[in-house]
Amino acid sequence: MAATIASLLKPWTPRLCPVRWSRYNPYYLEPEPRREAYAAPEAELTPEERELKTTRSIKAARANDNSSPYNDPIISKFINMMMQDGNKILAREIMTQTLEAIKRKQVEKYHSGPAAEREGIECNPYAIFHQAIENCRPVIGLTSVQKGGRSYQVPISLTDSRRRFLAMKWMITECRDNKHRRTHMYEKLSQELLAAFANEGNVIKRKHDFHKMAEANRAYAHFRWW
Amino acid sequence: MVPSKETESMFHTEQQVGQYYTIPSAQLKKAFPNGLPRRFQMQIKTFNEACVMVRQPGLELISYLKRADYAKPALRYILFGEVGCGKTMSLCHTLHFCSTQGWLVLHVPDAHLWVKNCKELLPSSSRPTRLDQPIEASQWLKNFKITNEHFLSKQIKTTRRYIWTKRESTEEGRPLGEMVDHGMSRVKSSSDVVGALLRELRLQAGGATEDAFRLAVAVDGVNALWGKTSLKKEDKSPVSPDDLTLIHNLKKMLRNDWCGGAILTTLSQTGSLFKPRSAYLPTELLGEEGFDNMDPFVPIPVSNYSDKEFESCYLYYMDRNWLQHPHSRTEEGRKELLFLSSRNPSILERLCSFL
Repeated sequence: MAATIASLLKPWTPRLCPVRWSRYNPYYLEPEPRREAYAAPEAELTPEERELKTTRSIKAARANDNSSPYNDPIISKFINMMMQDGNKILAREIMTQTLEAIKRKQVEKYHSGPAAEREGIECNPYAIFHQAIENCRPVIGLTSVQKGGRSYQVPISLTDSRRRFLAMKWMITECRDNKHRRTHMYEKLSQELLAAFANEGNVIKRKHDFHKMAEANRAYAHFRWW
Repeated sequence: MVPSKETESMFHTEQQVGQYYTIPSAQLKKAFPNGLPRRFQMQIKTFNEACVMVRQPGLELISYLKRADYAKPALRYILFGEVGCGKTMSLCHTLHFCSTQGWLVLHVPDAHLWVKNCKELLPSSSRPTRLDQPIEASQWLKNFKITNEHFLSKQIKTTRRYIWTKRESTEEGRPLGEMVDHGMSRVKSSSDVVGALLRELRLQAGGATEDAFRLAVAVDGVNALWGKTSLKKEDKSPVSPDDLTLIHNLKKMLRNDWCGGAILTTLSQTGSLFKPRSAYLPTELLGEEGFDNMDPFVPIPVSNYSDKEFESCYLYYMDRNWLQHPHSRTEEGRKELLFLSSRNPSILERLCSFL
């Protein structure tokens, strides 16, 4: 058995070597940061699980994945997308300030308004963030297909990760480009996220325009062969 | 233990350590036009109320003030502690007590603001070697007037004639409010007005007449007075704190040669210049010269939250609907907050603000 594992773990480089793809041997397993996965004591594991633990190699864990329940993968992804020049500390600061700004606005509304409206006001910044990104996701996208010397914009369905990426990218570029120069990023982001939560604002408009373009090019849908 | 939010009552005892009390908003605007820390002001705006926790250093200071003999020279109290422990909040708690008892409160919210980032430094009109700071002085006079309106308009009169420029002067026997108004309108001589005001208050505090008042001098970040400044004169030579009129007059105020009041001060590393982050003891922050000037003083250490105070703070945030993350409302989340903040009040506040 040792010989087969050694043969699987020999130095391996992928056939294509793009710069940002992972260079790990595909034999390696993903790391598991959650504490519950390690809760079962060793005696209760089945022989397969025990073999998995003792012999399989695991990739190194990322710096921002931690076992705390406060960890949120979507927020981590957003922080990574906002990061410039590798300055993760600044990106995380902006994110925490944004969440704080959203919470302050909502809690202020909660406390100053009449008691009847209190049920309807959502104060959890994480819920607002998730819902806003959800509202910004496009359903259908466009891709360029070459046919007969000309390239056409063809509507296709998007994968989940592509949709999430597009929503976050639109949010960040909107806040960076189309707002007043002297406002802080966290202010701009909190305004835009609260607007997206209520299905208004520039990012939702951009999503609708995107959908309209796909609808307009509906005639070319049959160019898709996959 | 549920924190009972009592209405403001100045008869706090040890049983109420850890509980919150509210400051009514009318008194808030009057007593603290800008004396509170910035994050606390944001919290007041969000929660629509000003709730201060009663803690042991504040209670200690208030008990000393109640028992002190005001016929003797003023006692100096220094609140010191690590960064973010609650020194400024304890000072504000004590100042609220003083203002409800009818004292005249002289509050310098942050002495560090006077020794750095000054936009206009004018050579002083009265003394050739000193430098004036008109903007800071007039801003401070405005806040002083808001806090002590009733004293200025009626009771206190000047004791001698002050000449500000060739054409302007304040006669003897005029109410102090006139002098303050003059300082606010003629910004160029506002630093001199501040100096004269401090001198008048020093002479008249704790007199034997029936309209005598007690004077509370509160300076936050007193280590700024003896440190270095980041200001430069026009020939790029560094300015020492003694060259500034405001600082010079304030130092005279902090000497204990006057009776009928108390001097409450706080050390602060956060605004200080050229001091390491880990310095918090009086000897480190005040330096030799500062310590000799302030000696003898009553030191009051301020520490992080105890278990009871942490619990009270946590329950207050829950009650105000501030902790929104579902995990932070569980026992596990509470332990995690305890660990991450290591009971430091300001770090706990910053953590809870985004959780």
